[in-house]
Amino acid sequence: MELDWTPQEEAFRQEVRKFIEEELTDEVKGSMFINTPERVAFVDKMKDRGWLGLGFPEKYGGSPSPFPLAQFILNTELERANAPIVGKNVGTIANTIFHEAGEEMKREFLPKIFNNEGQWSITYTEPGAGTDIGSLQTRCIDKGDHFEVTGTKLFITSAHFAKWHWMAVRTDPDAPKHKGISILIVDVDSPGTSINPMYCIGTTTAERTNEVVFDKVKVPKNRLVGDLNKGFYYMMQALDYERFAIIAAAQHTRRFNTILDYLKTLDYDGDRPLYDDKSVRRKIGRMATRIEVGNMLERRCICIAAERVPSVEAAMNKAWGSCMQDEVCKLAQEIMGPFGFLVGGSEHAGLDGYIVEEGLMAGHCKVAAAGVDVAKSIIAKRMLGLPNPLGKPVLPS
Amino acid sequence: MDMKLTDEQSQLQDGARRFMDEECSMDFVREIEKGDLGFSRDMWRQMAELGWLGLDLPEDQGGLELGILDLTILLRELGRHICPTPFIPTAVIAGTAIANAGTDAQRKKYIPLIIDGEMIVAFAYQEFSRFFDPGIIKFDARPDADGYVLNGTKMFVEYAAAADRLLVVARTSGSVGDQTGLTLFLVDAKTDGIKVIHTPTMARDHHYEISFSDVRVPGEDVLGRVDDAWTDLEPVLQRAALAFAAFTNGAAFELHEQATAFAKQRVQFGRPIGQLQSIQGYLAQLIMEILGSDTLTMFTAYNMDRGRSVRGYVAKAKAFSAETVSRTMDIGSQIFGGMGYMEEVDSTLYLRRGKQYELMLGGTDYWYDVVAEEMIDVDEPVQLT
Repeated sequence: MELDWTPQEEAFRQEVRKFIEEELTDEVKGSMFINTPERVAFVDKMKDRGWLGLGFPEKYGGSPSPFPLAQFILNTELERANAPIVGKNVGTIANTIFHEAGEEMKREFLPKIFNNEGQWSITYTEPGAGTDIGSLQTRCIDKGDHFEVTGTKLFITSAHFAKWHWMAVRTDPDAPKHKGISILIVDVDSPGTSINPMYCIGTTTAERTNEVVFDKVKVPKNRLVGDLNKGFYYMMQALDYERFAIIAAAQHTRRFNTILDYLKTLDYDGDRPLYDDKSVRRKIGRMATRIEVGNMLERRCICIAAERVPSVEAAMNKAWGSCMQDEVCKLAQEIMGPFGFLVGGSEHAGLDGYIVEEGLMAGHCKVAAAGVDVAKSIIAKRMLGLPNPLGKPVLPS
Repeated sequence: MDMKLTDEQSQLQDGARRFMDEECSMDFVREIEKGDLGFSRDMWRQMAELGWLGLDLPEDQGGLELGILDLTILLRELGRHICPTPFIPTAVIAGTAIANAGTDAQRKKYIPLIIDGEMIVAFAYQEFSRFFDPGIIKFDARPDADGYVLNGTKMFVEYAAAADRLLVVARTSGSVGDQTGLTLFLVDAKTDGIKVIHTPTMARDHHYEISFSDVRVPGEDVLGRVDDAWTDLEPVLQRAALAFAAFTNGAAFELHEQATAFAKQRVQFGRPIGQLQSIQGYLAQLIMEILGSDTLTMFTAYNMDRGRSVRGYVAKAKAFSAETVSRTMDIGSQIFGGMGYMEEVDSTLYLRRGKQYELMLGGTDYWYDVVAEEMIDVDEPVQLT
């Protein structure tokens, strides 16, 4: 058992921390729903250090990483500081292109990703295909010299600032539903696409996502990723990676510490600090413990990540970790009583409304990248060997 | 970074698993529950022969001097079989306390007896309080000519009837509420004036209330610092809490496995109940919590072995393992349906014992208070990376 970081890993962590200390400004901190010039400039500075392509070969613009956990350490430190992480562009898209796409596509797109040349949009979900993503209906017809795509996609968070859709489409309507899906790269400004904004619940800094409609959009044939009709498999494979990369425990520790520091300043009951109250202290003790359990489930991913992509471990990290945002905000609101529902604009609002905003959007963290129930189904199937609830009865022998 | 056991640790785990499979059936546990002793002297002798009773005690005193991590690996296996054994009070608490705080003479006299399985020590700490904090101690010890006179009552003392010695925490100065003013005594259990009363429990393990009436204890039986026992005792109890967390994690793992196996076998509505999403949700949630608890325990042990400050981590591990074992027994038992509450079914031993474990060696309120102290009252909370 070796649970300490190596000196090399620790040195890299210090390097990242120093970078963040020098480069991270308040304008860059915050939500993954936005993409400001300041954020792009910050990510460019990471690019200059070769941090977007850690672990990928140089011929594709990557920087071969001498150790497998470099990217994880980088993201952990970025999360801790509330900075933009190296997320889906690398986690889902570059990984899939590198492992599954042809040479031409690798040479065209991998350097673009590692050089931060434009954002990507994950374009999977549809009005009728959420958790059951395999039932998606957006049609892709082979027109000989090009594909033609028609359909509607929902919750496409990056569509209004992205350059490319990483898009799941139905290429074979007659095959069993999971075997007729393919992945395409589609230019966001392709003729025939329209983007309709949708706003998340929130009060002061409403966050945006989109519905995207595709009407007979032409897509070049060379934009097919990997093999035709293998898309569902590529999506599932990438989700394992995303569950590990994006639901990082560091962000929950950071959010909890921010809220703790704020609670320390409160004394609603006159001269008695909130932290003298035994029940408040115990709630905080319990929450700190639950955050630590999240750290441990993440640690289980780290320990496996040097050997293979975490799978059940990632599902656990997701199922537990994604509940922490909700629990932390709810705890703060419980402790604050009615002050807990005040939002930005009131001088008594918790962290200027941050606690309410984060609390309202906490459920999003649970449903993103396959919901908590889906993650539990993965645990039940892959670890406990329990049969598929939707399949035929599996009677004991 | 990896969580793989070393070859030696794997041998320890496998050996313990084999031994427990052979020796600690649920019929055996039932027999022990009916008996007067609360454990088996024969099994205790065998544990001594395996070297387990001195697993982490110093080599120069006959122990194997392994770490707390090794101890947790062993105790997880004992916990899988909800093994009734005075291992924690005798080998962990008394063994560590004597090794750390004892005089040369005490160490030479007692440590070999513990390691060889020839002395059972019961830990007489808690009193008429729901808390585990040393400040609650009223139990009185006053100096007299050649020693001390002890008066008072101790509660929740495991294996007191079988004990050769009682490790007693008494107040020698100060007043209730103080952490200081306490002194440890290693009292001969047969001394006049000690009365032992059995207190039946839901685990059907062997807990006692013991009262001392003018019990005379020689000065040589003082263990460690006079008036400052907590300095010696707190690290010992941290070790014990972690060892117990590992034990209860083992019990949770085992019941979860049994419930999962049952869910694959039990057919209702023409399919195994394990094919129902609601049952899968329960089992998936539980195993995630059990693994979280187990990893937290191991991680804390690993860092404790390296001499790092882990007070807050021990508290987190103990509190979460307590919640986890109780919840696992509760929900796991429901998966067995009505049979999960029948005396004849083995899972009910886990239910009775596991739900009691939650409350032992300090309940969650106590340990969450400790976590809060480490989070709120210190300038820089310890965050192990």
